[in-house]
Amino acid sequence: MATNFPGIEEARDILKKNKIVVAGVGETEQGKIPDKSSFHFLSQASKLAIEDAGIKKSDVDGLVTAFSLVEHTFMHCTTFADYFGMRPSFFSSVAVGGATAVWMVAEAAMAIASGQAEVVLCVRGDNTLSGISSSGMVALIREMCHPEFEYPYGLTTPGGYALAAQRYMHEYNATSEQLASVAVTMRKHAAMKENAMSKDPLTVEDVLNSRIIAEPLHKYDCSVISDGGAAFIITTEKKAQELGIQNPPAYLWGMGEGYSHQYLTSLESLDQIYNAINHSGTKAFQTAGIDPKDVDLAYLYDCFTITVLLELEGLGLVPKGQAGVFAQEGRLEIGKDLPVNTHGGLLSQAHLGAMHHVIEAALQLRGDAGDRQVDDAEVALVHGNGGIVSAHSSIVLGKQPLS
Amino acid sequence: MAEEKTYKKPLPEVRPETKPYWDACKKHELLIPKSKETGELFFYPRAMSPGDDMSEDIEWVKSGGKGKVWTFSVHHMGPSKAYKGDPPHVVALVEMDEGVKMMTNIVDCDPHDVQIGMEVEVVFDDVTDEITLPKFKPVK
Repeated sequence: MATNFPGIEEARDILKKNKIVVAGVGETEQGKIPDKSSFHFLSQASKLAIEDAGIKKSDVDGLVTAFSLVEHTFMHCTTFADYFGMRPSFFSSVAVGGATAVWMVAEAAMAIASGQAEVVLCVRGDNTLSGISSSGMVALIREMCHPEFEYPYGLTTPGGYALAAQRYMHEYNATSEQLASVAVTMRKHAAMKENAMSKDPLTVEDVLNSRIIAEPLHKYDCSVISDGGAAFIITTEKKAQELGIQNPPAYLWGMGEGYSHQYLTSLESLDQIYNAINHSGTKAFQTAGIDPKDVDLAYLYDCFTITVLLELEGLGLVPKGQAGVFAQEGRLEIGKDLPVNTHGGLLSQAHLGAMHHVIEAALQLRGDAGDRQVDDAEVALVHGNGGIVSAHSSIVLGKQPLS
Repeated sequence: MAEEKTYKKPLPEVRPETKPYWDACKKHELLIPKSKETGELFFYPRAMSPGDDMSEDIEWVKSGGKGKVWTFSVHHMGPSKAYKGDPPHVVALVEMDEGVKMMTNIVDCDPHDVQIGMEVEVVFDDVTDEITLPKFKPVK
């Protein structure tokens, strides 16, 4: 799609001038951790990110949080500011489902570029696995579909993605084996990530033999549910130097959002989803001054296996209808054509939106990804997806400043 | 009223602007809202046309009740405890002959006989005294 968006040059100038960077990251343990609250995870992750940057808590003057599925707060960011003991000059709660983490980076960047803050802590944490009540889970499912015109038909969240998967498979002759191979790759990557929740080897057969949740999706086509926290610090190159931050920075090159629908009832065609993903990615790519082919590493929201295929194609990383074969050929693995989610993603590492996707992209670009390190990685794309492939957000991060 | 107590699955929370829809369902009629200003049909029902017209002048058009399965998923789990022990149910997005899409269930057939493109027609399921859900069955 050769859309030219208004304001791209201005956005590029702003990012060039400010040199926005990811300067510190923190991840707590992930998995089933029943003895910690949502705010405990938020605090721990924040501390880890502040320590990773080697700065003091009082150096942080901006706070971006999201929401909790367990602790229902009306003003999440300020509730956490109080708990954590800070008085930020800029604060915001981003709540766009799975598109949140990626957009936190953009929110922080815009706050910095407009003089609202210099050092922004972005943090999410939740005890989703251990803390959510069955009524909380029902409320979450209900939130994802129309309460009046969809929910009474027993539509579930995996079911919504299954509806997209069924249509995708119909239009492009994709197979369950191809979907399964996405989960297999994520599991291979998770085996190399210290805090990953699921590390046992997984085969295509294992996925196909796992319990069917909503046809055509099996248990292992669905992401894990986990407890844990994750945080990152966004600032400018200049401020990072001033504070003596030693981490090699990952520079923000571009960002964009794209919207298709909230309810599947409003979906006209599969192309409507592709267009939303493409809108989000193309804005980020154009601001960065790159093409999809320039992406070395892709961090794609993988709540379900189908999501990854739709994103690969919507973003223009793989031609339409070919992502299934691409995945099946193992080309999403570390060392192959386009490594995707080198940390194991939502399917195997942990589910905290795309927080870990952003963090892994930064770790890879700064050369701190250990056994998972991809050589010569210069450009990473991170893409978030909220709702039922509804709301999309993308950022491009680079190893070098945007030039 | 006894029936209302035994039906534990989710029921729609009717809004002022959707009441005509649910009232018609109770009478086994399927209505689709239309902007009088542009003549465009839309679904789901809302108080304002989602088109550029932003019109609140909505009229209800009687649907022919026929359409085709656009996509579907045989659900082996429901969204609440009330589904426990139930056989799998088919959730489908049906493209109506009038052009709009509706989320629904496909009933009166083996779930595994459902296919994309299958012609279906509305049937009305009086799940409680107050609420009737329009569902669809294959056209024989």
